[in-house]
Amino acid sequence: MSDKTVSQSPNLSRRALLKAGLATGVAAGAVGAARADGDPLITEIQDWNRYLGEGVQSRPYGTPSEFEAHVVRRDVEWLTASTESSVNFTPLHELDGIITPNGLCFERHHGGIAEINPADHRLMINGLVDTPLVFTMEDLKRFPRENRVYFLECAANSGMEWRGSQLNGCQYTHGMIHSVMYTGVPLKLILEEAGIKTNAKWIMPEGADASAMTRSIPMEKALDDCLVAFKMNGEALRPEQGYPLRLVVPGWEGNMWIKWLRRIEVGDEPWHQREETSKYTDLLESGKARRFTWVMDAKSVVTNPSPQAPVTHGKGPLVISGVAWSGNGRITRVDVSIDGGRNWKTARLDGPSLPKAMHRFYLDIDWDGSDLLLQSRAMDENGYFQPTKNELRAARGENSIYHNNGIQTWHVKADGTVENVEVS
Amino acid sequence: MSKFLKVLSLGVSLAALPVLAGAAQAGDPDKGAKVFKKCAACHAVGENAKNKVGPQLNEVFGRTAGALDGYKYSKAMIKAGEEGLVWDDATMTTYLEKPKAMIKGTKMAFAGLRKQEDLENVIAYLATFSSAAPAAEDAQSAAEPETAEAEVETAAANATAPAPAPVSAMREGGVLGLGRVATEDEVAAWDIDIRPDGEGLPAGSGTVADGEGLYSENCAVCHGDFGEGVGRWPVLAGGQDTLTEERPEKTIGSYWPYLSTVYDYVRRAMPYGNARSLSDDDIYAITAYLLYLNDIVEDEDFELSNENFAEIHLPNEDNFIADDRAEEPHYADKSEPCMSDCKDSPVEITMRSRILDVTPGSVDDDDAAGMGGVD
Ligand code: HEC
Ligand code: HEC
Repeated sequence: MSDKTVSQSPNLSRRALLKAGLATGVAAGAVGAARADGDPLITEIQDWNRYLGEGVQSRPYGTPSEFEAHVVRRDVEWLTASTESSVNFTPLHELDGIITPNGLCFERHHGGIAEINPADHRLMINGLVDTPLVFTMEDLKRFPRENRVYFLECAANSGMEWRGSQLNGCQYTHGMIHSVMYTGVPLKLILEEAGIKTNAKWIMPEGADASAMTRSIPMEKALDDCLVAFKMNGEALRPEQGYPLRLVVPGWEGNMWIKWLRRIEVGDEPWHQREETSKYTDLLESGKARRFTWVMDAKSVVTNPSPQAPVTHGKGPLVISGVAWSGNGRITRVDVSIDGGRNWKTARLDGPSLPKAMHRFYLDIDWDGSDLLLQSRAMDENGYFQPTKNELRAARGENSIYHNNGIQTWHVKADGTVENVEVS
Repeated sequence: MSKFLKVLSLGVSLAALPVLAGAAQAGDPDKGAKVFKKCAACHAVGENAKNKVGPQLNEVFGRTAGALDGYKYSKAMIKAGEEGLVWDDATMTTYLEKPKAMIKGTKMAFAGLRKQEDLENVIAYLATFSSAAPAAEDAQSAAEPETAEAEVETAAANATAPAPAPVSAMREGGVLGLGRVATEDEVAAWDIDIRPDGEGLPAGSGTVADGEGLYSENCAVCHGDFGEGVGRWPVLAGGQDTLTEERPEKTIGSYWPYLSTVYDYVRRAMPYGNARSLSDDDIYAITAYLLYLNDIVEDEDFELSNENFAEIHLPNEDNFIADDRAEEPHYADKSEPCMSDCKDSPVEITMRSRILDVTPGSVDDDDAAGMGGVD
């Protein structure tokens, strides 16, 4: 553990700090290396090896180790005027696999976190239906359910990078994404329960929070794979993720996944709500703006090494790891370049490959200690390849904010530090 | 023999089954009160009962169908009344069993009560709010349950019917019979959205001059006296002709396609932290004032209302296009991508985050402000 990590962890107890300091001090310069007299962490009996630890129930709801206290969501304070209408970011560089732990899923609120007792929550279906209905949470749990892993990416993820590299860390450049397993009821079943009229072409989900968030969604999508979810990764949704109920709109921009879902209106035309006019429309160089750009195209990023996760071990075996995802289905391949896109190697995908879910890739290399320009390029099952940032700029200009799925470059320097750069 | 009596005798013929034997007795008003929960979304009964989705049901027995003053019945129901339909135990049983089978075209969106005992109980319950007796005297005299049977029935009911009862059977369309019918008041309370064609607008109006006062009281602290935005709070006015510039200013006047979005959004979400606190007229006035701040109307006496709302168009309406990302060159290229020697010369670094670095912890807040937002 580096000193930097320790000082970044405000939650470490004094005792832990002292111990950590001591340990680094003793093993200085040769962490884990054999010494003539042996590694004292091995040759000396450690406290945890002698004294009893805390008993069961000391942490009735388990929490991460105190040594992981730096693994948290972080925000960019100057970005917004108030934290209730703001965003924070998933620490992608600290995670592995394809599932984001619930407490680390990035947050984006428009009116703060609504705290709702599930007994007081209602879901209304109204508009072009045979019978407008009201469901309690208990009612919803009597519908047949499904379990599905999906990524959720904010359309503005990497939005700060349109004009060039700005933020030093994949948490900030790519952290408006998470990937969890949802348990919920197919939206189709709930709509059918109310009976949709033949002229029904759109739905508009609405949140119960102080922004009463709304989006228009075409009926085709609503009947295809949307879920009304109450669980994430097996446990109840977290309040910041819409407890007790949220909409899941697989592969489509995160803003549409209405949290604290309280109503779904059925209609024959879209509503053109604020979040699909003022926001979530993509301004092009011509001054025209695209609207209803729902799908999140294939994208990937190397999470390790990256600016917040430098190489600390010197040359030799290096695990290059990252995540890839596509709103259009499965990721079938990820190529990695270590020379800024001149030459590519196909990385190894590992772990389940599920449509519209995060995928994990690895490229295991023998690092010679020279500078690297690391890139990753995802391909999805439709043969779509992730574009370069310059290809996107050529097509759209620099004012789109949303849907920046361009290839990211990290400059790994000989000393192992990493910087966010752009290349020719 | 009326249909009601037929039903009774059917019940009696099944008297060997203890549970059903209970159902053969005339209804129990207390149990009927529970059954009435299925009706309560649409009907009120009792003191001060008002018409809801359906007519109030005081004094319904002896009443001609479709004849309550002040309630708007379907044509079918009015016709049935004109043809002599009067509500009594028999006619109501038939109606409640399958409303649409008895009166084709009735607007009562209710599938019907399946259980005879529910029918009898709810009729007994409604009878307590009518001075006219619902049923013939002999039916009433049959209403002395044998204690033992009644107990069996209660026990069985408790075992099979957990409270609160599901609302199956009470409506059309349902597949699983889950949920309950939303009342008109409930829908009205939540369904406040407005479309560009004006659908959903409440009746009302407000002038620019009224809006000015309301805006400076409720909005200006954050959005600025002229909609210029204080600090990092959103800008609401100005920015015309900046959409193709390096730093476009997207406001109601420069960017938003529809005025309906302004009314809808301000009503649902503003003032920030005190949503839904302004009246419909206030929102008309504030919306008019926002038009004024954006030079879309120039007269301080201009009054915006549900009548003239749809006539107003925002300047940028025509500049929105459908998602045509698929037309971009990099979408078309489905060939195998280049794997080696893809660039002529070694790659150069053209930009470093160090230059612009705005990463938290490495930046002076004021320099960073305006670097672009997350939106
Ligand atoms: C979904 C709403 C709804 C539900 C639930 C409902 N009703 Fe109705 N009811 C109506 C409407 C609407 C009418 C008017 C029908 C018409 O005009 O065709 C009506 C009419 C009636 C009438 C005729 C009244 C008159 O003045 O002519 C009776 C009696 C009645 N309902 C009883 C009941 C009972 C008892 C229940 C419960 C078992 C029930 N209804 C459930 C909506 C409902
Ligand atoms: C306490 C500060 C505050 C006050 C007071 C306030 N707003 Fe806002 N307003 C905000 C914030 C924050 C947002 C962005 C919310 C979000 O993230 O979705 C916003 C967004 C808006 C928007 C959308 C802007 C855009 O470009 O999409 C409009 C329109 C608006 N407010 C109008 C009003 C009006 C009208 C009032 C007074 C009735 C008002 N606001 C009062 C803070 C405020």
